[in-house]
Amino acid sequence: MSYIKTYLKRRAEGRLRKEEQERNALRMAFTRRYLSFKTLLGLNDEVLKIISNMEEAIEGSVSFDMAFIRTKCTALSVDVYKIIQSLNDITDQRNQTLFSVFDEISRRIDQELTRKREAQQGSWILPLEAIDRNMTDQAGNKMASLAETRNRLGLAVPEGFVISSAAYEFFMAEGKLQDEVNRQLQQLEVGNIAQLHEVSADLQKLIVEAPLPAELERTIISAYQDLIRNVGEGACICLRSSALGEDSRGASFAGQYRSILNVSPESLLLGYKEVVASKYSVPAITYRLRMGFLDEDIAMCVGCMRLIQAEAAGVVYSADPGASFPGGVVINSAFGLGKAVVDGTFSSDLYVVSRKDPGQLLEKDIRSKTTRIACHSREGVVVEHVDEAKREAPSLSDEQARRLAKIAMRLEEHFGGAQDVEWALDNEGTFWIVQTRPLALPARSGSRQDLPSRLIDNTTLIEKGITASPGVAYGPAFRVETAVDMLQFPTGAVLLARYPLPQWAALLDKAVAVVTDEGTLTGHLAAVAREFKIPALMGTRVASSTIGTGTLVTVDADLQKVYAGKVEAILARSSESASPIKNSPVYHTLENVLRYIAPLHLTDPDGPDFTPQDCQTLHDIIRYAHEISLRELFDEYQETPFSHKMARKLVSNVPMEWWVLDLGGGIREKADGDTVRVEDIISPPFCALWEGLTAFPWKGPPPIDAGGFLSIVIESTMDPNLELGRESAMGGQNYVIVSQDFFHLSTKLGFHYSTVEAFLGERVTENYVWFYFKGGAADRQRKERRNDLIETVLRRFHFWVQTKGDTLSARLERQENEYMTKGLKVLGYLILHTRQLDMVLSDPARVTWYAEEMLGEVSTFVEVPD
Amino acid sequence: MTERIRLLLVDDEEAFRTTLASRLRRRAFDVLDVESGYRALEAVKRTAFDVAIIDVKMPGMDGLETLREMKSISALIEVIMLTGHASVESGIEGMRLGAFDYVMKPCDIDALVVKIGDAYQRKLAREVSGE
Repeated sequence: MSYIKTYLKRRAEGRLRKEEQERNALRMAFTRRYLSFKTLLGLNDEVLKIISNMEEAIEGSVSFDMAFIRTKCTALSVDVYKIIQSLNDITDQRNQTLFSVFDEISRRIDQELTRKREAQQGSWILPLEAIDRNMTDQAGNKMASLAETRNRLGLAVPEGFVISSAAYEFFMAEGKLQDEVNRQLQQLEVGNIAQLHEVSADLQKLIVEAPLPAELERTIISAYQDLIRNVGEGACICLRSSALGEDSRGASFAGQYRSILNVSPESLLLGYKEVVASKYSVPAITYRLRMGFLDEDIAMCVGCMRLIQAEAAGVVYSADPGASFPGGVVINSAFGLGKAVVDGTFSSDLYVVSRKDPGQLLEKDIRSKTTRIACHSREGVVVEHVDEAKREAPSLSDEQARRLAKIAMRLEEHFGGAQDVEWALDNEGTFWIVQTRPLALPARSGSRQDLPSRLIDNTTLIEKGITASPGVAYGPAFRVETAVDMLQFPTGAVLLARYPLPQWAALLDKAVAVVTDEGTLTGHLAAVAREFKIPALMGTRVASSTIGTGTLVTVDADLQKVYAGKVEAILARSSESASPIKNSPVYHTLENVLRYIAPLHLTDPDGPDFTPQDCQTLHDIIRYAHEISLRELFDEYQETPFSHKMARKLVSNVPMEWWVLDLGGGIREKADGDTVRVEDIISPPFCALWEGLTAFPWKGPPPIDAGGFLSIVIESTMDPNLELGRESAMGGQNYVIVSQDFFHLSTKLGFHYSTVEAFLGERVTENYVWFYFKGGAADRQRKERRNDLIETVLRRFHFWVQTKGDTLSARLERQENEYMTKGLKVLGYLILHTRQLDMVLSDPARVTWYAEEMLGEVSTFVEVPD
Repeated sequence: MTERIRLLLVDDEEAFRTTLASRLRRRAFDVLDVESGYRALEAVKRTAFDVAIIDVKMPGMDGLETLREMKSISALIEVIMLTGHASVESGIEGMRLGAFDYVMKPCDIDALVVKIGDAYQRKLAREVSGE
């Protein structure tokens, strides 16, 4: 059994003498102290590294998401807590106030990360007339914006009402639905698409099958009946999602949630539940995870509105987020309901109108529109064929396109940013606004020039298309057509498809680019690709039929080209970083959280405001703890931890006075009397140190240059307590405590304070050698060079070293006893031979020279690792 | 013969738990793995353990509750919390309840072995000082 276990066993059996107990308590006190300091000094480096990581992320050199932020914050909090704990261990619990400072700071950090929404009170039904943009909490962003458009701008908006977030919360709480949702979402593994589909299906089923509370049912039906009375029996009604956070700055949630067009009275309530359930569709969950939204933050409000029987409908962007149409308002339009354009799957007409008044038509591309979407007579929508005669006709006249562009610019002006607008044109020529939300314009530094073709010797596979999302990327193409393809989609591939279906959005976490045959830049998948900063090239016509799965391609969405193989020139030119758009919710969260973490206020350790109460950030706390711990470590006024009656004097041929205390098994049995010879100390770790100490004879102080001597003189006149050569300045003495597997040695040689402590036991994981060192008689620069010298030599032997000013702390642990012994010998040598060496370290070259000299001498008694 | 460190591994996810247990056994730890907080407390009442590794999110009795109960049965046992989901609140709560560390999954096994060693050292030190 190990020494410790034997001791514990004998203690349990009551067989220990009091003295033995005291000695072991002392011995373990050393180990505890070592463990606390190890935590303090070691974690300090780690915490600084984490903070630096987070700062790199915010500067854009490292990509990140919410999971990154939460992981770093959790690790930081736990580490800082441990630092405070350890600090209290070594200062006899004198720093408890640091805990309450820490509590306050971490509470704020936690708040930024979880941001729990207040429960909604208020009406379950909100008529559109009664909503304004300050009611997004109750109505969701989408409906609130529509209400603004109607009430403030006086534009035509279909009549309707909103089933509020209060209603949603009531529904989710009644059946304990939210609890079940939370439970299932927590188990989601990153990247496990199959599990994602399962959980998504389960949750949607759960919600759709849950019964609506009776009062809620009645309220919804009553509001619906009011609406019908208002708009007439023949009207079609639709349900539209309006989630909190949806369409807010930087996050459009484009196409993630369901709309139900032409809902029948019988299916109204089921329709409501389906829209709510769409919150848990695969694309929606993926989107939220990627953008950093917590599930609880997103209440699902549902708008119930008249569905415009459109002659033509579609989408208008008040500015082009891609590279294709600078300075233009982009309109995509088709016959019938706008769903055809919104989904981005069917062919639609393209109009580009100048943003400037009077709005010239810059471009027009009329496509063959073979299909249109219309309301079914009973419920839902159908795809109809368009008469052959009408197919090639433009869905909008030039004048209508200009008029629509003007409306889009008005919306942009009112909402203070580019807008993504869904519109419908009725048979009386009125434009109705069905949806308007912020359009994110990716930041780009100027436009890229086409590279001269001679620099590209790769085959050009695709030469034209529409920039749906800017950027360039390289990877293997993977054609996606069915749900099975989705499950097999590899990370880092280029998504290749005929149509940009909204469900492919779930793959955008893994894809590096998107290339499609059809589609417009105003469709859902395009919007999500832009938000995820993934290049997307659409409308190529032929990509999915000419590029095979597995082909390595370079996609240049900016210049609308796809090349075979890797085009380094293009990939190198692109300076797109992978970090989230500067104004995204994730970016803001990191920014906010860093305020409580990174700034350092405690800069002057000797100043009056270096106290726990002055700590405002985690950085302050660890700075404070580090400083206090170093002070504890080098407290020169510490008395010896034992009575001199217990100790004996060491006899040796090294010129200094040492006291020795045996804790058990450290000194040879027969040795007796008041003195001990060094030859009688049998503690193996101590013997190793001694061997190193005495390997080379001490030749006395090395010759110094004038500068070195002068700097000593200046130092000693500054501090009257310093006297050249006085061996036991400042009280305290040189002592060594030994046992059969441990020793602690504390010494003051000249102006150097060194402590070495080591434990070499039966278990490798418990082994440690610890060395800390402070002082010196020369100026600061030379003292630092002396530390550099020691660090250089120790690192060769795999010590972990930390220096600060004139202090140095080093440790070696968890190695086999043989290796630890080698480290001890090197330490012994260093302790003696760096005495007063700082005086001659007039420049860095001397450090290197001395390091080589020392390693040379050391190599004569140990093997030096490479 | 050197005694082995006695580990108690608590996690409801069977695949993860049994894999980790066998990897740790190969590193010369004595491992008992159980699937719930209840079983963990039963085990601690019967046998002495040095270090416990507990998953935070478990159905029924969760990790933090298990930690609290375990410490009241055996104050000396050192506990390392494991979690798949970062949470500042839960991390600090765990530390306040006396956990030795709070580690995120997936956890590098070498790093975990080092932490187990540190935890064991602290346990020994506390034991000898008569805590």
